[in-house]
Amino acid sequence: MRSKPKWLFPVLALLPVLGLYACLRVYPIAETLRLSLFKWNIISRRKPFVGFDNFVELMSDPLFLEAIFNTTIVAFGVLVITIPVGLALAALINSRQGLRRSGFYETSIFLPHVVSLVPAAMAWKWIFDARLGPLNALIGWFGIPAQSWLFDPALSLVCLIVLCSWQSIGYAVLIFLVGLKNVPEALYEAARLDGASSFQAFRYVAIPLLKPVMLYVSVITLISSYNIYAQAFVLASDVQGAPGHLVRVLVLDMLENSFRNYRVGYAAAEAVVLLVIVLVLTGAQFRLFRDRSRA
Amino acid sequence: MSDPDHPSSDVDRNTPAGLAIDVVLFAVGLMMLLPLVFLISNAFKTPPELLAWPPTIIPDRPTLENILGVLHETPLLRWIGNTLIFAGISTASIVSTSAIAGYVLGKFDLPWFPAVFGVIIATSVVPFEVYMIPLYLNVQAAGLLNTLPGLLVGYLVMSFGIFLVRQYVTTSIPDELLEAARVDGAGEGWIFLRIVLPLMRGPLGALAVLAFFQAWTAFAWPLVVTANKDTYTLEVGLALFQTGFTVDIGHLSAAAALALVPSALFFSLMRRNFVRGVAGTGLKE
Amino acid sequence: MAFIATSVGTFGYPTSPEKKRRSWLSAARWLAVAVALPMLASPASAEKLTIWSGWPDLAPFYKRVGDQLKAKYPDLDISVEAIALREHEKRLALSLPSGSAGDVIEMEVEAARYLEASLIPEPPAAIVDFVKANYDMTRVKTAMYDGKIYGVPLFQGQGALFYNTEMFAKAGLNSPPKTMADYTAYAQKLVQRDASGVPTVSGWSLRLSGGGSGIAEKYWTILYNHGGTLLEEKGGKWRAAYANEAGRNALKQYLDNVVAYRTVLPEMKADAEAFELGQTAMFIRESWVIGDVAKKAPNLKYATAPLPKGTLMVPVDLYVPNKGPKSQIAWDFVQKANEPENLLWLLENTAWVPNRKGLDYSAVLGKIPQLGAFVNTPADHVFFTVPAISPASEILTRLAARLEKAFTDKSLAGNDAAIDAFLKSAAEESDKILAREDLLAKP
Repeated sequence: MRSKPKWLFPVLALLPVLGLYACLRVYPIAETLRLSLFKWNIISRRKPFVGFDNFVELMSDPLFLEAIFNTTIVAFGVLVITIPVGLALAALINSRQGLRRSGFYETSIFLPHVVSLVPAAMAWKWIFDARLGPLNALIGWFGIPAQSWLFDPALSLVCLIVLCSWQSIGYAVLIFLVGLKNVPEALYEAARLDGASSFQAFRYVAIPLLKPVMLYVSVITLISSYNIYAQAFVLASDVQGAPGHLVRVLVLDMLENSFRNYRVGYAAAEAVVLLVIVLVLTGAQFRLFRDRSRA
Repeated sequence: MSDPDHPSSDVDRNTPAGLAIDVVLFAVGLMMLLPLVFLISNAFKTPPELLAWPPTIIPDRPTLENILGVLHETPLLRWIGNTLIFAGISTASIVSTSAIAGYVLGKFDLPWFPAVFGVIIATSVVPFEVYMIPLYLNVQAAGLLNTLPGLLVGYLVMSFGIFLVRQYVTTSIPDELLEAARVDGAGEGWIFLRIVLPLMRGPLGALAVLAFFQAWTAFAWPLVVTANKDTYTLEVGLALFQTGFTVDIGHLSAAAALALVPSALFFSLMRRNFVRGVAGTGLKE
Repeated sequence: MAFIATSVGTFGYPTSPEKKRRSWLSAARWLAVAVALPMLASPASAEKLTIWSGWPDLAPFYKRVGDQLKAKYPDLDISVEAIALREHEKRLALSLPSGSAGDVIEMEVEAARYLEASLIPEPPAAIVDFVKANYDMTRVKTAMYDGKIYGVPLFQGQGALFYNTEMFAKAGLNSPPKTMADYTAYAQKLVQRDASGVPTVSGWSLRLSGGGSGIAEKYWTILYNHGGTLLEEKGGKWRAAYANEAGRNALKQYLDNVVAYRTVLPEMKADAEAFELGQTAMFIRESWVIGDVAKKAPNLKYATAPLPKGTLMVPVDLYVPNKGPKSQIAWDFVQKANEPENLLWLLENTAWVPNRKGLDYSAVLGKIPQLGAFVNTPADHVFFTVPAISPASEILTRLAARLEKAFTDKSLAGNDAAIDAFLKSAAEESDKILAREDLLAKP
């Protein structure tokens, strides 16, 4: 009996997964690119090819530009908070590793990342509430006048950033902790023998080694914050008889265009813009971290 | 910032610096939990107390009325059930596809495998929301709206999972082990199931937790795919519930608190495995 | 693979309409069968009737109608799914093209686009006769397309003034405002401020924020009472009509109240919530507020009054979108809902104004006098509707986004030229959307 060829198992094993990828990832992505070139309305029968018209229209669409602006502010706001705070917390927790209480630290910091999004957003909505919320009670204690957090256009962005950072910090801490555990003890010892303080050891030994992890965390954080939707949906939308201030984010604008205005082609063009932004930012982060680690 | 202690010291832990760190971490931990504490506490408050100023942290006269009301008004338990099934199947699919693909891509070197791996990783950079609409049109064309398969379509594979497993396989499973089994005449399928899979328990456990929570917290996709009260996932059901009822913070908090309990509980139970699993995956590279 | 070729979606693709698209996902259908989980698989049995509503406060009404229908269909299981209006509209857009909507659905003016795309079947002749016999045909317009009746009117939303009588008395006002100028004058008298002059109770709660098209609809009502309108029809096409004096006066009224006199601020609680909490003296809203107040603030002393000239009317009609064995039960449900006894229950318990002719309101009015402003409007009171054209909601949403910023824009206050420029650019945007859909009328 001839033995089976060597490639048979890996190819057969991989095929179903590749099939899923082709159908669930590659094809819809390609389809998005294609739809973005059409005037594709859900319920009208004529769906003509319009070239780059959708993109041209986007560039002067005030709602889309507002959405891009808001989303960018939130994404970078979250990034700027998550990375340093996450790193600092990870370093602190790492120094208490092995103690029983470190379990509490890890759980409490990571929990916001895994609890259901909508209930968490509801909790924050109440915290930010201008009339009943504890936040205004707290700042009132310090003599600061009550703010209408969710109605002021600038403050409502701050609220979104706080909520999203609260959720993303846990994940960053976890990944940083993993990275810190992998830093060889000997390196710290060497630094200490050279007279470095523990902060210096952390700064000059651990941080450079953590660069790939930081890259990973910042890419993930940025991508996921460019996709925020549920948070804005709950935190900043209105309910019957009680209007709120809507924070227009990219995904919300996309869904509104496709499922409310029925303009799927136009929404696909927005999706393509989102894709380009994410790709450019990811590329930029790769470059940034690589250059720094060479220097 | 307070001066962090030496990152992995094994000297006396109860130095003043160490205790200062404990105080900071304890405070941060409480702050992170505070919103959830407020939520749960609001679920037990009476309507007048909810309107009281300043807000209280521990309810004066706790009541079960909100929770009973919510259970009566919404199929909350069904939503939780729907989400559990959805997240469970999604997790099973992601874990198995990641295990097999990660292993194959890590331990076999056909010339086109790096390209395949590249495509898989590249798609992970593309936000799901980007291609959600074409995917939706397909689900609609197949008549799968409002069904579990339609819901699952977006959550069957995870690039990060394949990456994680491949990483683990290349760094932690020696080729010699597989070769020895082959010399003994073991088939490839047997090797994967009997030798490789048991070794991957750690990273697969961590992946399972990640996948579960990804599905558990999914929002945009379930929101467009389900249009029926009976098929909503927990997140969608709650979100729509909250836009329909305004001033009733008590009911909203009760619903939200009930929804929080399963995920918080699950995570607290799985935390140790999860952290160890992620740590053992060679993410350092 | 035969099953793949047979399951083609409702929509072909523009590039190759003749070549039916193979849908890989139909394979997943078999998975659906295989998985066959009782939880998510929708039972195909005939005895479950799903009602989709965009008004959570209507759920008890539909449940009541469903219970009555059980006399005829004992095995019937009625599932009322009432969610917020905006989400309701979205689920209609998502499900109607694929035939997966509820068995009885509410639709407002947006029905036109689905009727235009032939996504709603015609009702049986008996239903058409029922509508013709019992409704004022001018109110049925939105449920018609191409001269044919497709739906049954149920109730309508129409605005009127709600005012807190205790606050009016305290401010020495003993009658509601009669002209638009009165509104601002009243608001100045009614506003309550704290020691530092910051308003704590708004004089007149204007719609200054919120998602979707609400801001523009409210502006439209005020604009109309200044003698203008938002969109005007010319020969079946439409055109923005608010970049003129009436438009300017309406916007000025907002700016006066928000920027000049500060009788209301965007961050204050607004709308029904503010009214129920005693944080505004008056506001314009539909009649459902009466039902809401009864539930949430039963001790509130208030009255209602019609607006000076007219109000935006939103007719809510019932449709049966799916053909098949259940459609007869669904139409029975629709007819049951429109029985006088049920409609009077609806008026009394939810305060929505029924559409059917010849109902005797006297008993309900005796109990709830505030309904008077809605049920007995003056003869010359005008009801206008949002045009039944598909880009209407996009036009309103985009205008709303601009207005939200304009209302608090200090550079517009007291500067007619700036206001005119703002309105002109907004109207151009509205016209551009109309032009895109080939619906723009010539000037």
